[in-house]
Amino acid sequence: MRHLVVIPAFNEEAALPGTVARLGGLPEEYEILIVNDGSRDSTKRVAEELAARSNRPLHVVSLPVNCGIGVAVQTGYRFAAAAGDRFKYVIQFDADGQHDAEFIGLLVAQCEFQHLDLCVGSRFLKNFGPGSRSTFSRRIGIRFFARLIGLMSNVRVTDPTSGFRCLGPRAWERFAEAYPEDYPEPESLFWCARNRLNVGEAPVRMFERQGGVSSIRQLRTLYYMVKVSLAIIFDRLRRRESPAGAAP
Amino acid sequence: MTINAENLMLVGGVGAFLMTLHWVRVRELRERSAIAWLLVATLLLFTGLFPEVIERAAEWSHLSYPAAVLFVALTIIYLNSFFVSVSLTKQYRWNVRLTQQLALLEERVRRMEKDTKE
Repeated sequence: MRHLVVIPAFNEEAALPGTVARLGGLPEEYEILIVNDGSRDSTKRVAEELAARSNRPLHVVSLPVNCGIGVAVQTGYRFAAAAGDRFKYVIQFDADGQHDAEFIGLLVAQCEFQHLDLCVGSRFLKNFGPGSRSTFSRRIGIRFFARLIGLMSNVRVTDPTSGFRCLGPRAWERFAEAYPEDYPEPESLFWCARNRLNVGEAPVRMFERQGGVSSIRQLRTLYYMVKVSLAIIFDRLRRRESPAGAAP
Repeated sequence: MTINAENLMLVGGVGAFLMTLHWVRVRELRERSAIAWLLVATLLLFTGLFPEVIERAAEWSHLSYPAAVLFVALTIIYLNSFFVSVSLTKQYRWNVRLTQQLALLEERVRRMEKDTKE
C-alpha cells in the first residue's frame, strides 16, 4: 500500500527544492504530489524540474489560477481519490519548510496503530526548542480554536491550526468531495471530530518558514478568527454525516 | 409632469424595463436572472400607476408614505442581493470543481504523453 504526501504551494519557488529534498529520506512507498496553486513566480517550473529529477514518483498538478489553500489541498485529495485504492494515507505537508519530514512516519504509524482517521502533528505536545511553537499572538488564537472545538465536539486537541497532518481513507475520501476553502485546518478537524471519525495528535517539530508568505497575515487575522469560528458554529448546526465505519 | 414619488417610480419602472430588455437582448443577462428584475420593474410601474397601493400599505403598516416606499425598496434590494450571493456561491463551487478537474486532467495527459514517449 502506498501513501501520498501532498504539498500545496503558492509562490514557493525558493523553499520548494529544500522541502522536496528533505522528503528524500522517506521509504519508497511514499509518493509526492506538489499542487501549484496558480503561483505567480516560477513555482510551476521548479516543481516540474524537481519531478523530472526525482527518483520516486513526484507528481505536479498546476491549478491555472490561485484558488486558496483549501482548494489546493482538496485537489490533492481528489488526486488520491482518482487513483482508486492506490493510496492509504494522505499526508498534508507545507511547502515552506516549516514541517519536519522525519515526523511523517510517526503520523502514519499513529494512524495505523491507533486506528485514527486524522492524526494532527502538534507542536505543543513536546517542546523541541525555541522558534518551533509559533508567535505569542498566534498561540492565543490556536488555544481559542482548541477550546472552541473541545466545547463543540468534546474532542481535546492542542494544535487545531496545524497543517501537518495525516488522513486515513475515510477522512480524505470525504474531503475530496467537500473541503473548506480558506483556513481549512480547524474546520476540517472539527468536521472529523463531530462526525465521529477517530482524531488524534502526535508531537512534531516545526521550523521557521524558509520562504514564501503565510496565508494568515496580520490584516487578515481578524477575518480568519471570525470566519473559522463561524464555520465551526455553522457546522455544529448541520446534521451529522455518516462516514462509512464511523462510530455510532 | 411634476416630480413626485409616484412619477419617479413610474420613470424608474420604465427605465428598469428597458434596461433589463436591453441586457437580455445583447445576451449579457440570462433570462432566468432577468425574471427577478422584470418583476422589480413591474412593481415599480404598478406602484407608480397606482400610488394608492403604497398609500394603503403605508396606512396598514402604520408607516408614512416615504417610509413605506423605502421599506419596499430595501426589501427588494435585500432579496435580490441575497440571491445573487447564493448564486455566486454556487458559481464559485462550479468554478473550483472545473479548475481542479482541468488541472488533474492536464497532469494525467502529461503523464500519458511521457509514458508513450518512453
